[in-house]
Amino acid sequence: MSTIKPDLHAILDLDRIVHEPARLAILTVLAAAEAVEFLFLQRITGLSKGNLSSHTQKLEAAGFLETLKAFRGRIPVTSFQITEDGRAALHAYHKQLRALLPKEGKP
Amino acid sequence: MTPHDLDALGALTRDYAAFQTRKSGLATALGGLMAVALAVGSLSPLFMGARLGHRLLLEYLVWTPLLWLLLKEFLARALYRGAGAVKALPDGAYERRRWFWIFGLAMFLLAVGLTGLYAFARGLLQAHAPRGCVPAPPLWLLAMPPVYLLAMPWAIRGIEEARVYAVLVGQSVLWFLPFFLFYFAAPTPPLKTGWGLFGDLLGVSILVLWYLVMIWGALAMVRGWKEHRDFRRLLGTLP
Repeated sequence: MSTIKPDLHAILDLDRIVHEPARLAILTVLAAAEAVEFLFLQRITGLSKGNLSSHTQKLEAAGFLETLKAFRGRIPVTSFQITEDGRAALHAYHKQLRALLPKEGKP
Repeated sequence: MTPHDLDALGALTRDYAAFQTRKSGLATALGGLMAVALAVGSLSPLFMGARLGHRLLLEYLVWTPLLWLLLKEFLARALYRGAGAVKALPDGAYERRRWFWIFGLAMFLLAVGLTGLYAFARGLLQAHAPRGCVPAPPLWLLAMPPVYLLAMPWAIRGIEEARVYAVLVGQSVLWFLPFFLFYFAAPTPPLKTGWGLFGDLLGVSILVLWYLVMIWGALAMVRGWKEHRDFRRLLGTLP
């Protein structure tokens, strides 16, 4: 019977919602601002509209972000804001990731 | 995606957000240019009494700060929000400093407004003959300090903007206040006796202020242009 190494345990413990690269990028951008418009998220992540919508919906369902709807004149504008849970999840993910990565000078 | 990439992504977002709250780019440069133009215009010995059409030139110049507020908003929308709006994270210390500037400018405008009113009231109450050396100032000018004041809390987003607005408002009121002082409240006859040491000090102070405005205006133009160049570079790094 094979046993899982502690390092592999740590990798498997990573939050899958946050770990996906597109969602990680979205959360990182949202954590650096109070509110971010859909257009900017699209530009900075390089995702298509549909892809971005799908990822933000998953993050919203996980309680990691809030969607803010407003109007600029007659044009609807969608913005996003990271929640406290989202910030905590991102912080925890960063901590885990840094612990997993090899220290400088070590293989 | 490495932690380094993530840090870079966060930094890029923060830099972009700064242009929507704290940095003004070309609006700062425009403010510097307007400040220099006002200062250079004031050199004309007939500036105070100069006319444009049927109105005093001054009646147009007092709108400069409000014109800048409109133009800076237009520049912000046209140049710095093209990739979407991003609201920066709240910074308590920065907000306190912004309100400090707004409060300081409000106090200055209150002092200027009250001085103008005092000059007007003194002229009326003591029945001083209006001075012939300056044209009669339109009384609506007295409404400008409260107008400048009311526009501030909504239109001034950052400290840099507060500085530009303070310089433009300061210059505008510096040119129109003497009208009220000379016309309604100047000691009679000021031209024969002169104002002595007070007059000399006032002259030197205005000259020092004039140089400071010129230097500040030149620096603001350079800083604004540099910020704008930085923003163009930042936009170029977006995928």
